[in-house]
Amino acid sequence: MSRRSLCRFGLAPALAVAVVALAVAACSAPGASSTAGSGATGSGTASGPIKIAVVDAQSGSDSDLGQFEWRGVSLAVNQANAAGGIGGRKIDLTLYDDQGDPTVGVELAKKIASAGDIAMFGTAESAVTLAMAPILESEQIPNITSGQSTALVKLNSPYLFLNGPTGLTYDSTLATYLVKTKHYTKIAMLTNNDSYGAGEESAFSSSLKSLGLAPVAAKVVPADQTNMTPELTAIHGSNPQVLFIGAEEAQSGLIVKQARALGMTAVIAEGAPAGTPLYMSTAGTANADGTIVSSPYLGNGASAAAAKFAAAYTTAYGSAPELHGAKAYDGAEIMIAALKACNGCTGLALASAIRAVHYDGLLGDFSYDSSGVGIFATAIGIITDGKIVPVS
Amino acid sequence: MQSFFQTLVSGLSFGAVYALIALGFSLVYRTMGLVNFAHGAVLMIGAYVASTFYLSARLPFAVAVPAAMVVTAVIGLVIERILRPLENKDFDLMLIGTIGAGTVLEAVAIIIWSSSGRGVSSPVQTAPLAVGGVSIPGYNILVIVVTAVAMVVLTLFLQRTKHGAAMQAVAMDHEAATAAGIHVGRSNAIAFAIGAALAALAGALIGPMLYVSPTMGDSLGIDGFAAAILGGFGSVPGAIAGGLGIGIISAFAAQQFQGYSDMVTFVVFTVLVMIRPTGIFGEKTVNRA
Amino acid sequence: MVLAVVAWLLPYQLNIYWMSVADTALLFALLAVGMGLVMGVAGQVNLAQVAFFGAGAYVTAILTTHDGYGFWTAAALAVGATVAMGVVVGTPALRIQSHYLGIVTLGLAVAFTDWITNAPITNGDSGISGIPTPPLFGINLTSNYLYYYLELAVLAAGLAFGLFIVRTPLGRRMRAMRDDPLAAGAVGVEIRRLRMIAFVLASIYGGAAGVLYAGLIHYIAPETFSVADMFLLLAMVIIGGRQSLAGCVIGAVALTVVQQELVNLSAYAQLGYGLVVVAVVVFAPTGLVGIPSRALALYRRRRGRGPVAALEPFRPFPAGPEAAGGVMLDVSHLTMRFRGLVALNDVSLAVRSGEILGVVGPNGSGKTTLFNVVSGLYRPSGGRITLDGRVISGARAHRISRLGVARTFQNLRLFTTLTATDNVLVSLDRTRTWWSWRYLLWPAGVWRHDRALKRRAAALLAQFGLAQFSAALPGSLPYGIQRRLEIARAVASSPRLLLLDEPAAGLNGDERSQLAAIVRSIRDSGVTVVLIEHNMGLVMSLCERIIVLDSGAVIAEGAPADVARHPAVLEAYLGTSPVPAPSEPEARQKTEAP
Repeated sequence: MSRRSLCRFGLAPALAVAVVALAVAACSAPGASSTAGSGATGSGTASGPIKIAVVDAQSGSDSDLGQFEWRGVSLAVNQANAAGGIGGRKIDLTLYDDQGDPTVGVELAKKIASAGDIAMFGTAESAVTLAMAPILESEQIPNITSGQSTALVKLNSPYLFLNGPTGLTYDSTLATYLVKTKHYTKIAMLTNNDSYGAGEESAFSSSLKSLGLAPVAAKVVPADQTNMTPELTAIHGSNPQVLFIGAEEAQSGLIVKQARALGMTAVIAEGAPAGTPLYMSTAGTANADGTIVSSPYLGNGASAAAAKFAAAYTTAYGSAPELHGAKAYDGAEIMIAALKACNGCTGLALASAIRAVHYDGLLGDFSYDSSGVGIFATAIGIITDGKIVPVS
Repeated sequence: MQSFFQTLVSGLSFGAVYALIALGFSLVYRTMGLVNFAHGAVLMIGAYVASTFYLSARLPFAVAVPAAMVVTAVIGLVIERILRPLENKDFDLMLIGTIGAGTVLEAVAIIIWSSSGRGVSSPVQTAPLAVGGVSIPGYNILVIVVTAVAMVVLTLFLQRTKHGAAMQAVAMDHEAATAAGIHVGRSNAIAFAIGAALAALAGALIGPMLYVSPTMGDSLGIDGFAAAILGGFGSVPGAIAGGLGIGIISAFAAQQFQGYSDMVTFVVFTVLVMIRPTGIFGEKTVNRA
Repeated sequence: MVLAVVAWLLPYQLNIYWMSVADTALLFALLAVGMGLVMGVAGQVNLAQVAFFGAGAYVTAILTTHDGYGFWTAAALAVGATVAMGVVVGTPALRIQSHYLGIVTLGLAVAFTDWITNAPITNGDSGISGIPTPPLFGINLTSNYLYYYLELAVLAAGLAFGLFIVRTPLGRRMRAMRDDPLAAGAVGVEIRRLRMIAFVLASIYGGAAGVLYAGLIHYIAPETFSVADMFLLLAMVIIGGRQSLAGCVIGAVALTVVQQELVNLSAYAQLGYGLVVVAVVVFAPTGLVGIPSRALALYRRRRGRGPVAALEPFRPFPAGPEAAGGVMLDVSHLTMRFRGLVALNDVSLAVRSGEILGVVGPNGSGKTTLFNVVSGLYRPSGGRITLDGRVISGARAHRISRLGVARTFQNLRLFTTLTATDNVLVSLDRTRTWWSWRYLLWPAGVWRHDRALKRRAAALLAQFGLAQFSAALPGSLPYGIQRRLEIARAVASSPRLLLLDEPAAGLNGDERSQLAAIVRSIRDSGVTVVLIEHNMGLVMSLCERIIVLDSGAVIAEGAPADVARHPAVLEAYLGTSPVPAPSEPEARQKTEAP
């Protein structure tokens, strides 16, 4: 084929061209002029809208969490914009779908940097947030996340802030309540193997250990598994009084449903996911009753502020809010407060402004330390008749 | 010991569903020589349609399931018609075509019903039966009964009706079948439609036991295929044996190996396929090796 | 070559986000080339390619972050580990194909994903972060812009190597194996080794892509290597055109860009590429890359043909040495049973060196089955076959081919996507598969060997009068010319024994007499010929000796005139009773069903 031989001969001149091009290019590397992210500029010189990105799973199995977060943030921002924005400038939110995939998140981190977003809300999955953190730090984009993994804290990034307590806080409060207040001795654990479940497993078991207790059974299930009966059967055999679950809302609900179908009467104990309507609907209201929940947001009736928030949320979106929406709302309010305080600054100045905010939110009092954690306690509630009731 | 029996009961209930899935695969494979990679997605659509009829339209479960089967059978007909030009010509391309069809179905499900999935309440609200410390939910018994009935009906269809005989003829030698006046395309379409309906039945039945989500078909499809191979393609007893076998193996593997259970099932299955591709009951009806 | 310049200058045009997309696109292109080699070129269904990608990335990540290895050392070990994985994944391919292979490779990929999600050393779902940047002579590769050039270099090298393989003997054999494994075995292709090589190649590309990925993103997690990404990669390869490596690259780049553009509409994107895959599979199986040539072919057909290629006369072979006259092929008490049906029943015959032996008999008498057993397609149920004293019964087809046996097929088995020249080239090449080490260490030797083969192929085609058809695909050739090409292909392997299965079927009188001349010339050049034929005129004039089979047994043997008068032969063909004896259709024992 003559075309083939032409290709063979064509290689040599092409290489020559390439070498010349390289020599020319070596003088100025591409992209050198735009290495710094657009978030680097310190002061709020611009007029016009303040662009903030919201990055969350809008598809895939975690999309519920993503939607709650988007709604919570949007509500706060819309309220702020209606009240005049930041010194007359409106906040412009852009939603990005990270599909629950850390590598998509990494690409998005670069995308939002080049799109001119000065801050970011999200994500609800710690693994994705962890992946994005180094890029956000180098691009100087402050990030308020719903994630709760202690790995986030260990990063010690000046640009990363959690809008809720860490997983360790949830679990140690829960463990202390179960062991010290209720005097349970036989506690079993069922966690899944994604980053949330793995974090819960280590946080809860270390909390138990520091209280001098070991779990009577501990099983791990794949995060996408929907039939937990084999593992539950094994746990059932050790007759626990309490079953601690470390999994997302839907899987937790399934675990409870299947446990009850097996005839297990153990009390269910869990952190944040059990405080959501999705958990209750998947488990079935009868099965969900009696669940002990460790959560900083015990329901829309817990306080006057919560009721007000819930009313506004329901009016805007047609359904009642829960923990993740409340967390996102608090995080957005903090960002808005910081922006107001420093008059629309960006980069490190904005991060410092966030750290300087003291905010009394739906979840409690926020005051950020150097590692990005702002709230250090949760409350304990019990699900009764489909609502979370605080224990006295 | 009680734990052993409990796991066994669980394995059998799921095994019945795997048997249905295996049968659907087997039917299509026998008549068309095609492993339908869209089978899992079809199952998922069946689960969604049935649960939509049951939850949103509030139809009784016994009506929702056959309705879902009809809808899914139509989808099966459409897929077969689109891929018909490739039949008996290029199997690799047809395989890829079914993968594409599966991808499309999954995307459609996400667009219509969103990716977050839904739980389905059990249609059998009685308390579980307690037999010697082993808890047997009433619904599981229903699943086994329905599966058995479906198997009997299908066997009768294949052996007693004209269309069933035609499908068996096409399976043995499609050229001779054409020579005998059988419209192979139509016969294949019927096979595909029945296979799809079986998948829908499996999906509808398994919905209340698990969780309906757009990706539920992935692992169920693979488990069903493993069951079909284990039991041997081409026979109803084979599908039953394979289904129950895989159900029990994965139940015990999940207990022992927890997170790694899928991996264990796979490695076992790969070794089995290599040693004996025809399965336990198998007959070499279509050899593509 | 314009493309090369454009590719070189591309980074200057892109912002940081699009640069990152371009980097990802190049990685998928590398992955797609590997996939194209194993699926498109060698015809092996491989749904574990993304697992190879993951293995390369994870081993690099673990060795650098956990064990403190330097990046390039870790990279080399990672590719090695991926190759080991490729051998494991390829092992099922030695026994099973097509759908079964698809499910098994998919299952192994799922098992891999399972493992990385659960094993402590991989940090499970949280992934591994902090993977160092590869050091390269002081160039700062943390910049996506500069990393692009590293990837471009690797992709260019990988693509060039891939194209080199495709256009030389190894690739040609793979394509022959893909088109028709049976016929490939009959011309000496070692099928199983070739399949393994294909998987190893795919794993090398996958592992390299994984290594580069780890060094680019500095973070890996299990989600990137899921089954969903495998189907996306499959879509890239199918839509681009799996049999063309350039098509694979185009498909990869196009789909990566589309996916990024639609990142907020991922369900619609998935719907889109799923539909396009189905459309491509049904309407344009050669992919996007194949559309221009298909359109061109359609246009040419509409316009009418150009000058028609003509068959030239056959040039007789130079006479070979006088045959020794001893027994070359000895078939002794051969029995062949297919699940209860006895196709060959205690058949014994001898083929003398230098003769033209005819095998005749009614339909279903076992003639083609005899050829299939002799050439190694079937393993006999009983009995023994020796070739020049060496036992060949039960040996594999390619080994028998190397011992000097060549054959043609009753239903014509030319390699349909290979040109006439390529068909002959596959058979001409008598090197063993392990000869291919030269691809890695001495490509110049491969190149030289290929040129020599092409010269010989051209000469052989000219000898058969087929010179004007050398670039044609078999499907476009008239039937008689395809038959002649198949004989040329068989002769190309320099056989000692040539088995012709109904070579005159479908030929007209003129073509038949040309065939007779060809067969005689082949024999005169020193090749022993055994011929199955129904055309009695041809048999009588051509063959010195005839063997008659009926219902799997030898019923007569001897000179043509004697056999024609033999009462058993007359009864077998004409019958003595008014009702003719029913004969089993020979179609039952298709040579297609091993």
